[in-house]
Amino acid sequence: MSNKLLNKTLRPQLLFAFILFALSIPTYFLMVDWIWLKELDENNQLIAQRIENEFNKQKIGDEKLVEKIQFWNEIQSIGKIEPAFQLFVNDSVYTIRKPNLYSTKEEVNRFRCMVKNIKINNKEFTLTIESNVEESEETLSYISLVTFFLFLILLLGFWILNQRLSKEIWQPFFNSLEKLKNFDLTTRQSIYFDKTDTKEFEELNQTLQKLIEKNISVYTQQKEFIENASHELQTPLAVLKSKLNLLLQNKNLTNEQSEIINAIELTLSRVSRINKNLLLLAKIENEQFASTENIEISELIKETQELFSDYINDKRISVSCNLVENFRISINKTLFEIFVSNLLINAIIHNTINGTILINLNNKILTISNTGNSSLNPNKLFERFAVSSSQTTNSGLGLAIIKEICNRYQWQISYSFKNNLHSFSVEF
Amino acid sequence: MKILIVEDEKELAKDIVKYLSGQNYVCEVAENYHQAIEKITIYQYDCILLDLMLPDGSGLALLEIVKQENKQDGVIIISAKNSIEDKVKGLHIGADDYLAKPFHLSELAARIHAIIRRKQFDSSNIIQQNEVKIDLLAKTVKVNGIEISLTKKELDLLLFFIGNKNRVISKGGLAEHLSGDLADMFDNHDFVYAHVKNLKKKLTDANYGNYIKTIYGTGYKWEI
Repeated sequence: MSNKLLNKTLRPQLLFAFILFALSIPTYFLMVDWIWLKELDENNQLIAQRIENEFNKQKIGDEKLVEKIQFWNEIQSIGKIEPAFQLFVNDSVYTIRKPNLYSTKEEVNRFRCMVKNIKINNKEFTLTIESNVEESEETLSYISLVTFFLFLILLLGFWILNQRLSKEIWQPFFNSLEKLKNFDLTTRQSIYFDKTDTKEFEELNQTLQKLIEKNISVYTQQKEFIENASHELQTPLAVLKSKLNLLLQNKNLTNEQSEIINAIELTLSRVSRINKNLLLLAKIENEQFASTENIEISELIKETQELFSDYINDKRISVSCNLVENFRISINKTLFEIFVSNLLINAIIHNTINGTILINLNNKILTISNTGNSSLNPNKLFERFAVSSSQTTNSGLGLAIIKEICNRYQWQISYSFKNNLHSFSVEF
Repeated sequence: MKILIVEDEKELAKDIVKYLSGQNYVCEVAENYHQAIEKITIYQYDCILLDLMLPDGSGLALLEIVKQENKQDGVIIISAKNSIEDKVKGLHIGADDYLAKPFHLSELAARIHAIIRRKQFDSSNIIQQNEVKIDLLAKTVKVNGIEISLTKKELDLLLFFIGNKNRVISKGGLAEHLSGDLADMFDNHDFVYAHVKNLKKKLTDANYGNYIKTIYGTGYKWEI
């Protein structure tokens, strides 16, 4: 499974964001709690000073002081003044938790306390101040909630941005990709990529364009070379053939010489067969069989088969035809004759003596089968010279021609070997 | 009978001349467009063999000139291109036949024979060869006045032999004549043997001289 590039970059980014957000929760909590406590300590300090000042301002007599302090202690809950047992050098601050006495619900409140020595009427007292402070778990849960919510927004934002990015920024890339997918070297049509303002894509397109043009030119050169070579060979082949024909006329030929001439003629005809087929392949590739007509193919198949009757009888092959009539296709007639001929040549050459050929045309599928001994390699079957010419007297191009014609008309061809029958099926 | 060979490949032209000589043919060779046009405009030929690719011009242009001047010369195009367009174009302009290189000389001789025959006999179309009389229109063969029935292929063979008198014809050449381009695709031409055997038998049964000779290992010869 491959992932989209954007998803690949998004994943670590999201992971990083997640870790950061997760770490931010305790950080924020500690920060907020620290601020809380610091502010409360300041607040407590202010309150303590105020209490000390206010008591001193009242100018309460020493005799009433205890009573007043007692009263003060009773009516408010901020703090408590007690006679000093010992003298603190520093103020002491601490946090306590205690249940709420006035609430019916069972709840525990947190308090920030300060213990401070104050002087009232020049007597030392200990003042304890308690301020309600937000519970830490509450702070923690609020921060977590907000952080989580923000993370969700981030996720959503990334996702939406990603969609837009892949649509807009990556558009030129996908355009180029689509064009490359549709590229077919054999048509020798170059691709022209759209201009883009993204530097990387523009560079990619230009490189691809160069690569494609280079490929087309090499392909064309190669094709022309094969074509020219085949053409140039025709005349020397013709001379060789005519020389052999003349040599045969010699009245003083010995039997041995005749046999040699015969062998040369066979080899020569093999060369001219390969050459002819190479030229034919080039012509098909060059689309020299462009014109099409609507043809009733069963008739044409029968006619073509008729042409081979000598070769079929020679091997005592029995042919059984089962052709649906009135099946018409639009096609170049010559090309179709070449197509059927090559299938039949194949079926005859690779047949056994007394073998059979079955020709079936049904449901837009033409199947030509022939007797054989072992299955062929279906992967290399349609390649040029897949079977080396030393192993067979065939040109090694017949099936390549068949395949080329199939490609031309987008027909599907398949090979199978069953019950000692090689079958080639073409779906029109 | 005069034949003009317009062919720039000297060796091939030489071989054609050699093969055709001794069969009542007088051959002349033109190696290029220039020579050919000179000869065509001055002389009358029974048959012109025309290569389409000449060093200084196109064979099709030559053909057009022949036809414009309303000459009665038969024309056989011999071309290495073997392209259908050229073939169609050539026959459309007025060539009588088209033969793709490489070809068997025996095939060429048979085609020349057929064209000259058509030009000479016009509508009668009867060939007399020793005791055999062939009516090409009715497709009948008579030996010593008695009709014998030949298959289409046997008649084809007979005409082929008559067009290649005293020449050794290879089995490959016969096969190519009988099955055309397809023969090129096979190495085994044993079926030729069967057809020749049948023809021979029918002819000997009708008391025709044993003119068809089998040449060891190579082919056949119609010897007169």
